[in-house]
Amino acid sequence: MIFRTPLPNTERPQMEADVVIVGGGPAGMACALRLSQLIDEHNKKNPDWPLSKENIYVLEKAREVGQHCLSGALLDPRSMRELLPGFEKEAPIDAEVSKEAVYFLTERSKFKSPITPPPMRDHGNYVISINKFVKWLGEKVEQAGITIFTGFAGSELLVENDRVIGVRTDDKGLDKQNQPKSNFEPGYDLRAKITILSEGTRGSLTKQLIGRFTLDKECNPQTYGVGVKELWELPAGRIAPGEVIYTAGWPLTNHEYGGAWIYGSKDNIVSLGFVMGLDYRDPRLDPHHVMQAFKTHPFVRELLDGGKMIRYGAKSLPYGGWFSIPPLAGDGWMLTGDSAGFVNSQRLKGIHLAIKSGMLAAESAYEALVDGDFSANQLSSYQSRVEKSWIREELWKVRNFHQAFEHGMFEGMIHAALQQVTLGRGLHERYTSHAGHKRLEQIGHLPSGGYGREHMLGPAKGDGKVTFDKLTDVYHSGTKHDDDQPIHLVIHDTDICNTRCTVEYGNPCQHFCPAKVYEMLEAADVPNGKEIHVNFANCVHCKTCDIMDPYQIITWVPPEGGGGPNYDGM
Amino acid sequence: MADTVLVVVEQREGKLNRVSLETLTAAQAIATEMGWSLEAAVIGGSVDPVAQEIAKVKVAKVYAIESPQLERYTADGYVAALKQFTASRQPKLVLMPHTYQVRDFAPKLAAALERTLISDAVGYRKEGTKLVFTRQMFQGKFAADVSFSCDPPHFATFQAGSYRGDKVETSASAAPIEKLGAQVDGSAIRVKPLDIFKEAKQAVDLTQAEIIVSVGRGIKEQKNIELAKALADALGGEIAASRPICDSGWLPMDRQIGSSGQTVAPKLYLALGISGAIQHIVGMKGAKSIIAINKDAEAPIFEIADFGVVGNLFDIVPALTEELRKAKS
Repeated sequence: MIFRTPLPNTERPQMEADVVIVGGGPAGMACALRLSQLIDEHNKKNPDWPLSKENIYVLEKAREVGQHCLSGALLDPRSMRELLPGFEKEAPIDAEVSKEAVYFLTERSKFKSPITPPPMRDHGNYVISINKFVKWLGEKVEQAGITIFTGFAGSELLVENDRVIGVRTDDKGLDKQNQPKSNFEPGYDLRAKITILSEGTRGSLTKQLIGRFTLDKECNPQTYGVGVKELWELPAGRIAPGEVIYTAGWPLTNHEYGGAWIYGSKDNIVSLGFVMGLDYRDPRLDPHHVMQAFKTHPFVRELLDGGKMIRYGAKSLPYGGWFSIPPLAGDGWMLTGDSAGFVNSQRLKGIHLAIKSGMLAAESAYEALVDGDFSANQLSSYQSRVEKSWIREELWKVRNFHQAFEHGMFEGMIHAALQQVTLGRGLHERYTSHAGHKRLEQIGHLPSGGYGREHMLGPAKGDGKVTFDKLTDVYHSGTKHDDDQPIHLVIHDTDICNTRCTVEYGNPCQHFCPAKVYEMLEAADVPNGKEIHVNFANCVHCKTCDIMDPYQIITWVPPEGGGGPNYDGM
Repeated sequence: MADTVLVVVEQREGKLNRVSLETLTAAQAIATEMGWSLEAAVIGGSVDPVAQEIAKVKVAKVYAIESPQLERYTADGYVAALKQFTASRQPKLVLMPHTYQVRDFAPKLAAALERTLISDAVGYRKEGTKLVFTRQMFQGKFAADVSFSCDPPHFATFQAGSYRGDKVETSASAAPIEKLGAQVDGSAIRVKPLDIFKEAKQAVDLTQAEIIVSVGRGIKEQKNIELAKALADALGGEIAASRPICDSGWLPMDRQIGSSGQTVAPKLYLALGISGAIQHIVGMKGAKSIIAINKDAEAPIFEIADFGVVGNLFDIVPALTEELRKAKS
């Protein structure tokens, strides 16, 4: 197997830039838009020394803006109202939340929570499609005169003397052997004064940055969940636009963290998904299977019966919270949105924080451009902006929330209640956490049989109506990659997969990947008779493998720009 | 002597590459704007017919640069000949179409003269006394302006389609043709071209096939594909496959059926060891008749098959092939 790596010894076009924003999601677009606003104001006040927007670029690996964006999604409008007052008038909003309910599920029954717990109260929030919303933001950015390079991914961080000096974009036209094809185009070296990483969850350049400067040394390890989502078209009248349902409990047991959402959108479209913590113990557990099992609960089956699944997708999300957020700025760089870990794990919301963090980074970037200073000292103003903002206020209150669930759902709820009355503190000033992949147990240490988890283990079969096998779901993600390119899921040592992992963990990549990228195929000359095979063309860019692999030998790197899912309407 | 812009037109086996006319159109405009004279050069073994053709275009002069060493294209030969020529003629600007051949030798030519090359330009404009060329970046999202800062001769190539060949100005009287013998030392040519051949046309157009025998993972090993091929031959059909087979390189990618391959609608589609994931189904569900052979009775392929055989393809396929052969003979 040949894995993708930037082609060595290649002459690359060089391009100078003032600011390069990597990733055109909510954080990146808000950052670009805010920066444009500040430059406009500046140029009005200082007509004699204007700033140019010409050398501000947004890199987006999707073919079109928004195509790789996936979320529930509910939007807390707080930051959008600051960015574009009155945005509701023109933004694509599907519904305003009108009704909430929280249920606890057992295998056959449901129990409605008599009150909606305060963090789940969503009145005033909007049901949106993050795909449509970001597409709209992207139009605003382009109208403002900032260039978005769609179909270009950041493949490498350019670092010189411990300073981030820009980004290398992806090489185009490499074949399976990582050799140039006739249409080969080397990636560009975008040499930027400021590089802002807004890559979303588990960003690949962010990972390079954190690794290189060990930015996480003072942090709790980041912990993640993976959300598996389906969009359904239902017969009229099943669920009102703006109706929001959350569930906890079945199909999970006390030892897995997670729950489901059901959001009523307009035109009888319903967003349905299951988020589960990537810190479960049984390596055979399959988050896609959990989502399928959830739909077989009588309550959900009744809702979906006669409807049609129209789209599928999956994405990881960071929910380690405040204590997992690394330093936010350094020499030539800033981190925003999910790349930094701005998610409120109690409310399971991060879009508003991503937008706010992008705006604050833009303010610091603007000052740096005016001062002509791009040092860590200058850009650290972004760190203080975040700490003085409502981002910190909101995240501080839930700083210990997710960690409290490390020992199970019920214990977690007791801690969470305690934290609720102690302004987020709970029993300890700082609850610690462990990286989720370390909690996977070896197959040999598990009880025999399914021990009550049969419905979540291994691949889901699917009935073709309410439940689906993985490949059918992947088909509905609209994922496309050029088949003739190197594998972008870089496995650093496939021997570990075929030997140790098969014996110790039973190759959990086959199960945790929601897109059937990893398969163990029968092969003759390998010790356990099975060999890893990577169907990279199925990859929906969720990053779960990079996060959950027990040996941490998988590195997700962007494939040739333009490839990936097509999350139209998601 | 007036400043000149020289266009090196491209010919192969005595035939003009029409993209050269686009470059001439651009060159005519540049010559007019800059007040330069325009000349053209054809290079090769014997290039008289092409030189005659170019002479009809409105140019001041056509050079036919000939040598037996230039009969077959080699980068070394072309560079040697054009180096001598441009060194003696000293044009301000040398323009060429951005063809595969030009891509091959033009960088070497520019480097040999210690000059720079602006390649794949899509346009130009005059800025003061300077020529500024436009090049595309980021797959056309961006246009970069570039100009020469070195001494002439300057070298530039234009992308195909940037100018219109049919807009080239012709002249009532043919331009004079000057024949030049190029001194090309045979030992300087380090490559020996063999016969020119056309790449075999794609052997198959699956969309036109009436009968397709398609294999999936159930075929197990590359060598077993022969079984399916034998069946396809006996049926007079084409062989095709689902993605895992082409992904493993057992069959070429142009034989792949499905969402990332071809979509076909033959009269008969025989699916051997194909489970029938939706990604495959969308590529063949339009077939008039679908026969599926699979050992897994629950394989989704049976949901759309007109005839299904639950069994071992390694038993069934050879027997079927045998029967077909018998029936035919």
